[in-house]
Amino acid sequence: MKFYRIMAISRRVFRDVANDKRSLAMLFLAPIFAMCVFGVAFSGDVENVNVIIVNQDQGLTSPLGGTTYLSTEIINNLNTTTLNIQNMTNLDEARLKVENGQSSAVIIFPEDFSKNAFLKSQNQSYPLNAEIIIEGDDSITNIKNAILKSVNQAISDTLTENGITPAIKVTSDPIYGKDAEFIDFFVPGILAFVVYLLTTILTLITFVGERSNGTLERVLASPVTEGEVVTGYAITFSTFGVLQVALLMIIAIMVFNIMVVGNVILAFFAVAILAIACQALGILLSSLAKRPEQAIQFFPFVILPVFLLSGVFWPVQAIPYWLRPFSYIVPPTYAVDACRAVMLKGWGLDKIWPDLLALLIFALFFLFLAVWTLKRGKK
Amino acid sequence: MTLENEYAILTNHLTKKFKDFIAVNDLDLKVKKGEIYGLLGPNGAGKTTIIKMLASIRNPTKGKASVLGEEIPDGNIASKIGYMPQETGIYLGLTVDQNMKFYGRIFNLKREEIEKREDELLKFVDLEDWKYEMVENLSGGMKHRVSLACTLIHQPELLFLDEPTVGVDPELRESFWKYFQQLKENGATILITTHYMDEARHCDRIGFIQRGKLIAEDTPANLLKNSGKDSLEDAFLLFSRKEDKDLKEVMA
Repeated sequence: MKFYRIMAISRRVFRDVANDKRSLAMLFLAPIFAMCVFGVAFSGDVENVNVIIVNQDQGLTSPLGGTTYLSTEIINNLNTTTLNIQNMTNLDEARLKVENGQSSAVIIFPEDFSKNAFLKSQNQSYPLNAEIIIEGDDSITNIKNAILKSVNQAISDTLTENGITPAIKVTSDPIYGKDAEFIDFFVPGILAFVVYLLTTILTLITFVGERSNGTLERVLASPVTEGEVVTGYAITFSTFGVLQVALLMIIAIMVFNIMVVGNVILAFFAVAILAIACQALGILLSSLAKRPEQAIQFFPFVILPVFLLSGVFWPVQAIPYWLRPFSYIVPPTYAVDACRAVMLKGWGLDKIWPDLLALLIFALFFLFLAVWTLKRGKK
Repeated sequence: MTLENEYAILTNHLTKKFKDFIAVNDLDLKVKKGEIYGLLGPNGAGKTTIIKMLASIRNPTKGKASVLGEEIPDGNIASKIGYMPQETGIYLGLTVDQNMKFYGRIFNLKREEIEKREDELLKFVDLEDWKYEMVENLSGGMKHRVSLACTLIHQPELLFLDEPTVGVDPELRESFWKYFQQLKENGATILITTHYMDEARHCDRIGFIQRGKLIAEDTPANLLKNSGKDSLEDAFLLFSRKEDKDLKEVMA
């Protein structure tokens, strides 16, 4: 070993990176970006969960006159950062909102809630009848837990303020996702995420190859049009996307025993459109890279924002409020949402069409841009 | 006979700029039908850009060109031309057979026709035994031969061959020129670029290209005669220096 040779190699590698301004920028920007993404992702609490309160509590009228409503006090103590509270009187309408996905849960205070609570606090032998019923969408465990935690905290705060110790039970009667665990929430998201990731990266690398091998030019010198190239890629990658998802779903069902209550064909459909959008995105990105090494530098920027924003690992409600609009500009968000709705809630086309429409718009937009960049390459 | 009938390629003040860099400068090129025309010049002279414009892969910045009687880039000539890019332009992850079938399909050839052409061409480039081999396993020279076979699959009238002999050993280079002569005899027009001056003697006519301009053009024999030199390389250097001198005078 000779020091001068080691140093020559070290210096050469250093110069190689330093000569490529973009490599240099990526070397320092990517870690900052990664740290910020993970920092933001893990620091977020679930916030702004839409819940509906149906308060049927008649209160407790004391012999001296005057009625006390324990329910109102609990409601006042609910954390309004976590929960976005709407009050309704009609229980059926409230349930419908949860079924339609406009709200995450209905929190019901039954008629004799206050009465049962006070009776129990005065006489320990009285049965535990005071209950708060949560009828919610339990398919997203983080949100279910956040609602439960808020309600329990409000109960405990109220009781401390009043200096009484009645037991109040919180009963959960899920509208969706009964017995759902984190894995059930996680798997549909992962399906969409995997397809996004592999399709985008595979097209990016393949297309950089097409550009540098001269195959793209040879094809474009033939009667083949730019639109035909992009559409041909779209057909292949959407087929791959569906096959990937089918395979993953089989494993998820057989090995992890995940919950599937809906028609998986719809989930395949969502993922196929996502794959079309992603391959077009890959072609778009390929126009920015001259060499495969440069394409690899895009990976952190392809992976991390979607990791954070699309709701795969955390529901969108768990990311900071100011970041949420960005969730809706990454296509996988809609595919994650659609897969979850189909698999965990059994939703049909009538309810997931907005997700599919959004995916379709993204797909068409990216396809158009991909064709445009190919045409612009002639300039 | 009109010009369009006589010439396969006619350009008129054809110019291509990349930002401030002029790659092709005011080019007037005439290539007769059925001839082998060689564009000769150093690397970076603009030869590839000329071919790419004529093959409708790049749009000209200024000027006009007609290829096989049609204006480019709007003309409908794609099915009549064959373009062989410098970078071979074949799929490394496919077999020789799969590459040829793909290029046959995009020209809308029928299955039987592709099979027939494929057998002819593989015989022509001497790769019959390698039909089902992955291209990535072939040597550099073999890849060039596959590339040429793919270019010829649809029997193009006009061939654009961009440095087809770069990295090809002398023996293979000779056989390539034999192929080109055969193609010419079958009626094809060939526009070929090269920076190997010695092999340019196989061309019917040669255009010397420097800094995007056509600085001299004639048959190889006439170029040698007019320059009073023994080799095309020396002839090129002479014309190139003359061009530099003219440029300096104009600038002064």
